[in-house]
Amino acid sequence: MKIIFQTKKLNIEEVLKSFSSQNSSSGAVISFLGKVRPSRNKKKIKSMDIEIYEKMALYQTKLAIKNLLKKFNIHDYFIMHRYGNLKPGENIIFLIVASEHRKEGFQFIQEILFYFKKKITFWKKENYIQSSKWLDSQN
Amino acid sequence: MKIFYFAKIKEIIGKNEDIINIDKQMTVGDIVKMLKLIDESYELAFKDLKNIKCSINCNYINSFQTKVKNNDEIAFFPPVTGG
Repeated sequence: MKIIFQTKKLNIEEVLKSFSSQNSSSGAVISFLGKVRPSRNKKKIKSMDIEIYEKMALYQTKLAIKNLLKKFNIHDYFIMHRYGNLKPGENIIFLIVASEHRKEGFQFIQEILFYFKKKITFWKKENYIQSSKWLDSQN
Repeated sequence: MKIFYFAKIKEIIGKNEDIINIDKQMTVGDIVKMLKLIDESYELAFKDLKNIKCSINCNYINSFQTKVKNNDEIAFFPPVTGG
Protein backbone atom coordinates (compact mmCIF):
# COMPACT_ATOMS: atom_id res chain seq x y z
CA MET A 1 0.00 0.00 0.00
CA LYS A 2 1.99 2.88 -1.32
CA ILE A 3 1.39 6.50 -2.38
CA ILE A 4 4.28 8.24 -4.13
CA PHE A 5 4.46 11.77 -5.55
CA GLN A 6 7.76 12.38 -7.29
CA THR A 7 9.52 14.31 -10.06
CA LYS A 8 11.68 11.45 -11.33
CA LYS A 9 10.64 8.77 -13.81
CA LEU A 10 9.52 5.43 -12.47
CA ASN A 11 10.54 2.00 -13.68
CA ILE A 12 6.99 0.77 -14.17
CA GLU A 13 7.94 -2.73 -15.34
CA GLU A 14 9.95 -3.33 -12.19
CA VAL A 15 7.23 -1.93 -9.90
CA LEU A 16 4.51 -3.99 -11.60
CA LYS A 17 6.60 -7.16 -11.42
CA SER A 18 7.37 -6.72 -7.75
CA PHE A 19 3.78 -5.68 -6.90
CA SER A 20 2.43 -8.74 -8.69
CA SER A 21 4.80 -11.14 -6.91
CA GLN A 22 3.98 -9.55 -3.53
CA ASN A 23 0.29 -10.21 -4.24
CA SER A 24 0.54 -13.71 -5.63
CA SER A 25 -2.68 -14.82 -3.92
CA SER A 26 -4.80 -12.07 -5.57
CA GLY A 27 -6.96 -13.13 -8.50
CA ALA A 28 -6.56 -9.79 -10.28
CA VAL A 29 -3.75 -7.27 -10.60
CA ILE A 30 -4.88 -4.27 -12.66
CA SER A 31 -2.79 -1.27 -13.68
CA PHE A 32 -3.43 2.08 -15.33
CA LEU A 33 -0.84 4.36 -16.90
CA GLY A 34 -1.65 7.99 -17.77
CA LYS A 35 0.75 9.77 -20.16
CA VAL A 36 1.50 13.23 -21.54
CA ARG A 37 -0.14 13.58 -24.96
CA PRO A 38 1.83 14.85 -27.96
CA SER A 39 -0.84 17.40 -29.00
CA ARG A 40 -4.14 19.03 -28.12
CA ASN A 41 -6.54 20.43 -30.73
CA LYS A 42 -3.76 20.05 -33.34
CA LYS A 43 -1.39 22.15 -31.19
CA LYS A 44 1.91 20.43 -30.54
CA ILE A 45 2.68 20.02 -26.84
CA LYS A 46 6.32 20.79 -26.09
CA SER A 47 6.11 19.85 -22.42
CA MET A 48 3.79 19.78 -19.44
CA ASP A 49 4.35 21.41 -16.05
CA ILE A 50 2.60 19.69 -13.18
CA GLU A 51 2.28 21.54 -9.92
CA ILE A 52 1.42 19.96 -6.59
CA TYR A 53 0.28 21.07 -3.14
CA GLU A 54 1.98 18.04 -1.70
CA LYS A 55 0.78 18.13 1.89
CA MET A 56 -2.86 18.40 0.81
CA ALA A 57 -2.48 15.94 -2.07
CA LEU A 58 -1.21 13.29 0.34
CA TYR A 59 -3.92 14.08 2.89
CA GLN A 60 -6.71 13.99 0.27
CA THR A 61 -5.38 10.79 -1.32
CA LYS A 62 -5.35 9.03 2.05
CA LEU A 63 -8.89 10.29 2.68
CA ALA A 64 -10.03 8.98 -0.73
CA ILE A 65 -8.40 5.59 -0.11
CA LYS A 66 -10.02 5.35 3.31
CA ASN A 67 -13.45 5.88 1.70
CA LEU A 68 -12.76 3.48 -1.17
CA LEU A 69 -11.54 0.70 1.10
CA LYS A 70 -14.95 0.79 2.81
CA LYS A 71 -16.59 0.15 -0.58
CA PHE A 72 -14.21 -2.31 -2.23
CA ASN A 73 -12.39 -5.36 -0.99
CA ILE A 74 -8.88 -4.48 -2.14
CA HIS A 75 -5.78 -6.47 -1.16
CA ASP A 76 -3.13 -3.91 -2.08
CA TYR A 77 -2.60 -0.72 -4.11
CA PHE A 78 0.21 1.38 -5.56
CA ILE A 79 -0.33 5.01 -6.53
CA MET A 80 2.30 7.16 -8.21
CA HIS A 81 1.74 10.68 -9.61
CA ARG A 82 4.55 12.78 -11.00
CA TYR A 83 5.05 16.53 -10.86
CA GLY A 84 7.55 18.95 -12.40
CA ASN A 85 8.32 19.28 -16.12
CA LEU A 86 7.36 16.29 -18.27
CA LYS A 87 7.74 15.65 -21.99
CA PRO A 88 5.16 14.08 -24.34
CA GLY A 89 5.07 10.31 -23.92
CA GLU A 90 6.27 10.43 -20.33
CA ASN A 91 4.20 8.80 -17.60
CA ILE A 92 2.11 11.08 -15.37
CA ILE A 93 0.23 8.63 -13.22
CA PHE A 94 0.64 4.93 -12.54
CA LEU A 95 -1.89 2.96 -10.53
CA ILE A 96 -1.91 -0.71 -9.61
CA VAL A 97 -4.47 -2.56 -7.59
CA ALA A 98 -4.68 -6.15 -6.39
CA SER A 99 -8.04 -7.70 -5.60
CA GLU A 100 -9.79 -11.04 -5.44
CA HIS A 101 -11.82 -10.34 -8.60
CA ARG A 102 -11.30 -7.95 -11.51
CA LYS A 103 -14.54 -5.98 -11.10
CA GLU A 104 -13.66 -4.29 -7.82
CA GLY A 105 -10.11 -3.63 -9.03
CA PHE A 106 -11.37 -1.80 -12.14
CA GLN A 107 -13.89 0.15 -10.04
CA PHE A 108 -11.20 1.12 -7.52
CA ILE A 109 -8.97 2.46 -10.30
CA GLN A 110 -11.86 4.40 -11.89
CA GLU A 111 -12.72 6.01 -8.59
CA ILE A 112 -9.13 6.90 -7.70
CA LEU A 113 -8.84 8.61 -11.09
CA PHE A 114 -12.07 10.49 -10.34
CA TYR A 115 -10.51 11.80 -7.11
CA PHE A 116 -7.42 12.95 -9.04
CA LYS A 117 -9.71 14.88 -11.40
CA LYS A 118 -11.79 16.42 -8.59
CA LYS A 119 -10.02 16.60 -5.24
CA ILE A 120 -6.33 15.79 -5.22
CA THR A 121 -4.25 18.92 -5.55
CA PHE A 122 -2.34 18.68 -8.82
CA TRP A 123 -2.52 21.19 -11.67
CA LYS A 124 -1.33 20.73 -15.25
CA LYS A 125 -0.03 23.39 -17.62
CA GLU A 126 0.62 22.52 -21.25
CA ASN A 127 3.47 24.34 -22.97
CA TYR A 128 3.03 24.74 -26.74
CA ILE A 129 5.54 26.17 -29.23
CA GLN A 130 4.57 29.80 -28.60
CA SER A 131 2.25 29.75 -25.61
CA SER A 132 1.21 27.93 -22.45
CA LYS A 133 -2.14 27.08 -20.94
CA TRP A 134 -3.30 25.83 -17.54
CA LEU A 135 -5.77 23.05 -18.18
CA ASP A 136 -9.38 23.49 -17.11
CA SER A 137 -10.93 20.89 -14.88
CA GLN A 138 -13.07 19.53 -17.74
CA ASN A 139 -10.03 18.72 -19.96
CA MET B 1 -1.29 32.60 9.22
CA LYS B 2 0.25 30.98 6.18
CA ILE B 3 -1.53 31.53 2.88
CA PHE B 4 -0.48 29.46 -0.13
CA TYR B 5 -1.27 30.09 -3.79
CA PHE B 6 -1.08 27.53 -6.59
CA ALA B 7 -1.15 27.31 -10.39
CA LYS B 8 -2.68 30.29 -12.21
CA ILE B 9 -3.31 32.22 -8.98
CA LYS B 10 0.35 31.87 -8.01
CA GLU B 11 1.41 33.05 -11.47
CA ILE B 12 -0.81 36.14 -11.36
CA ILE B 13 0.30 37.15 -7.86
CA GLY B 14 3.92 36.33 -8.60
CA LYS B 15 4.60 34.37 -5.41
CA ASN B 16 3.45 31.19 -3.74
CA GLU B 17 3.04 32.27 -0.15
CA ASP B 18 2.11 35.09 2.19
CA ILE B 19 2.22 35.24 5.96
CA ILE B 20 -0.25 37.50 7.72
CA ASN B 21 -1.29 37.93 11.33
CA ILE B 22 -4.87 38.21 12.49
CA ASP B 23 -5.77 38.83 16.11
CA LYS B 24 -9.33 37.50 15.95
CA GLN B 25 -11.29 34.92 13.95
CA MET B 26 -12.15 36.12 10.46
CA THR B 27 -13.96 34.60 7.50
CA VAL B 28 -12.07 33.47 4.42
CA GLY B 29 -14.02 36.15 2.55
CA ASP B 30 -12.57 38.80 4.91
CA ILE B 31 -9.06 37.46 4.23
CA VAL B 32 -9.68 37.70 0.47
CA LYS B 33 -10.87 41.32 0.89
CA MET B 34 -7.66 42.12 2.80
CA LEU B 35 -5.49 40.44 0.17
CA LYS B 36 -7.19 42.32 -2.68
CA LEU B 37 -6.05 45.58 -1.08
CA ILE B 38 -2.36 44.62 -1.40
CA ASP B 39 -2.08 45.43 -5.09
CA GLU B 40 -3.62 44.99 -8.55
CA SER B 41 -2.22 41.48 -9.03
CA TYR B 42 -4.17 40.22 -5.98
CA GLU B 43 -7.26 42.10 -7.20
CA LEU B 44 -6.92 40.29 -10.53
CA ALA B 45 -6.16 36.88 -9.00
CA PHE B 46 -9.27 37.01 -6.79
CA LYS B 47 -11.56 38.65 -9.34
CA ASP B 48 -13.57 35.53 -10.15
CA LEU B 49 -14.18 33.74 -6.85
CA LYS B 50 -16.45 31.17 -8.52
CA ASN B 51 -13.38 29.56 -10.04
CA ILE B 52 -11.28 29.58 -6.90
CA LYS B 53 -11.13 26.69 -4.46
CA CYS B 54 -9.96 27.15 -0.91
CA SER B 55 -8.69 24.79 1.75
CA ILE B 56 -8.06 25.24 5.44
CA ASN B 57 -5.48 22.85 6.89
CA CYS B 58 -5.78 20.66 3.76
CA ASN B 59 -9.59 20.35 3.99
CA TYR B 60 -11.78 21.86 1.28
CA ILE B 61 -14.23 24.51 2.44
CA ASN B 62 -17.67 24.96 0.90
CA SER B 63 -18.15 28.62 1.73
CA PHE B 64 -15.99 31.72 1.93
CA GLN B 65 -17.96 32.46 5.12
CA THR B 66 -15.92 29.74 6.88
CA LYS B 67 -13.97 31.17 9.81
CA VAL B 68 -10.21 30.93 10.17
CA LYS B 69 -7.78 31.42 13.05
CA ASN B 70 -4.26 32.80 13.03
CA ASN B 71 -2.62 29.35 13.23
CA ASP B 72 -4.56 27.95 10.25
CA GLU B 73 -2.95 27.19 6.88
CA ILE B 74 -5.05 28.47 4.00
CA ALA B 75 -4.59 27.74 0.31
CA PHE B 76 -6.23 29.26 -2.75
CA PHE B 77 -6.14 27.46 -6.09
CA PRO B 78 -8.10 26.73 -9.29
CA PRO B 79 -10.05 23.44 -9.64
CA VAL B 80 -7.57 20.57 -9.76
CA THR B 81 -6.54 18.89 -13.02
CA GLY B 82 -4.48 15.88 -11.96
CA GLY B 83 -4.58 12.30 -13.12
